[in-house]
Amino acid sequence: MTLHHPYDDTLARYAAGRLGAGPRLVVGTHLHSCAECRARVGLFECVGGALLDEAPVAAVRPDLFAETLKRIEGLDAAPAPARMRAAPVSPLDGIKMPPWRSLAGFQWRRLTLPYAPDANVIMLKVAPGQKMPHHTHRGVEYTQILQGAFHDDFGRYVAGDCVEADEEVDHQPMVDSDVECICLAAFDGNLRLRGFIGRMAQPFLGL
Amino acid sequence: MGLGLVRRSPRGDSVRAVEGTGVTSDELKGLMAAVAQNRDRAAYGRLFQYFAPRIVGFMERNGVSGTDAEEIAQDTMVTVWRKAELYDPAQAAVSTWIFTIARNLRVDMARRATRQRNGAAAMGEPEIELVESAETQTLAVERENKVREALTKLSREQATVLRLSFFSEKPHAEIARELGIPLGTVKSRVRLAMAKIRPLLESER
Repeated sequence: MTLHHPYDDTLARYAAGRLGAGPRLVVGTHLHSCAECRARVGLFECVGGALLDEAPVAAVRPDLFAETLKRIEGLDAAPAPARMRAAPVSPLDGIKMPPWRSLAGFQWRRLTLPYAPDANVIMLKVAPGQKMPHHTHRGVEYTQILQGAFHDDFGRYVAGDCVEADEEVDHQPMVDSDVECICLAAFDGNLRLRGFIGRMAQPFLGL
Repeated sequence: MGLGLVRRSPRGDSVRAVEGTGVTSDELKGLMAAVAQNRDRAAYGRLFQYFAPRIVGFMERNGVSGTDAEEIAQDTMVTVWRKAELYDPAQAAVSTWIFTIARNLRVDMARRATRQRNGAAAMGEPEIELVESAETQTLAVERENKVREALTKLSREQATVLRLSFFSEKPHAEIARELGIPLGTVKSRVRLAMAKIRPLLESER
């Protein structure tokens, strides 16, 4: 049962195309499994439509329409696209998964998004009973729990949940599921790991 | 009055743009149907006349340069021609559908620019398709109307933060600095604005 969802303003930014590529991947992964949030994004897309109606009517160069007509000329013969909708794909499909690497009691891998190579996206795999590195945030950390569960001082999070933590959050999550906990995490800013091990780990994670 | 946007428009009126231009939401749907079914160029011309200048205005407000904004507007309208048959009037207003096309093209354009700087290979993001439940679809038209109505009920302050969360890439902390108000105030205004929109969703259940 999903209890934790992205905040409304995060979904609004998603709908507006204003989330960075990393957070967008995490939120998109959440949407893949959460119909409730998909409906909320749909609502914010309506807001986008209303904003487009209200947008200032800009002067466009006079030949823009003629040029556009030329571009669609060759498209007339194109076969009608199939109306059938393909099953929605997870945004994680098609992203290369490098092997897990071990570090200080947990496993991690950094994902490289082909369309946004600079995005900070990692996957963490932590064994039952293990603590995740103690950390604070500079910017916002978006985490989607893919498997297992963990808790921190603020609550308990299970597979399907999406958690946002900002600079006010200083936590050390602890895995409390029977299975390994696997999380997908992306950062708007930099994550600051605390403690000796955390500081050692930081450069390895490339954060 | 809606979202504090029309106040700045040169027309200076407070009537919703769709009505203010003499084009209704249903008329836009009719034009889309003519394009989808008959490849009607006159109907396409009217859609272009309505949307192209608004997409440019919308993008310029987003911080996109005039030339890039025109490119996005043109690419959007080419996509409208190509995908006209995929538009489902029961699911969304024409403006909402076209907004999502323009949004995706803007994201693509920003990413192309990043890749060119990095010299990385071109690669598209798989599009995440938001499949609504049948129940949601039947009420989509009503939802569009309600959203527009709710937007007119926002206070100027709420409208500003909501607009910024749509139009700007700035985090809340920066929005707070810009408006000269505490971060907590930005967050609470976003929440209050959302609180006026969100019941629309709850009532559909």
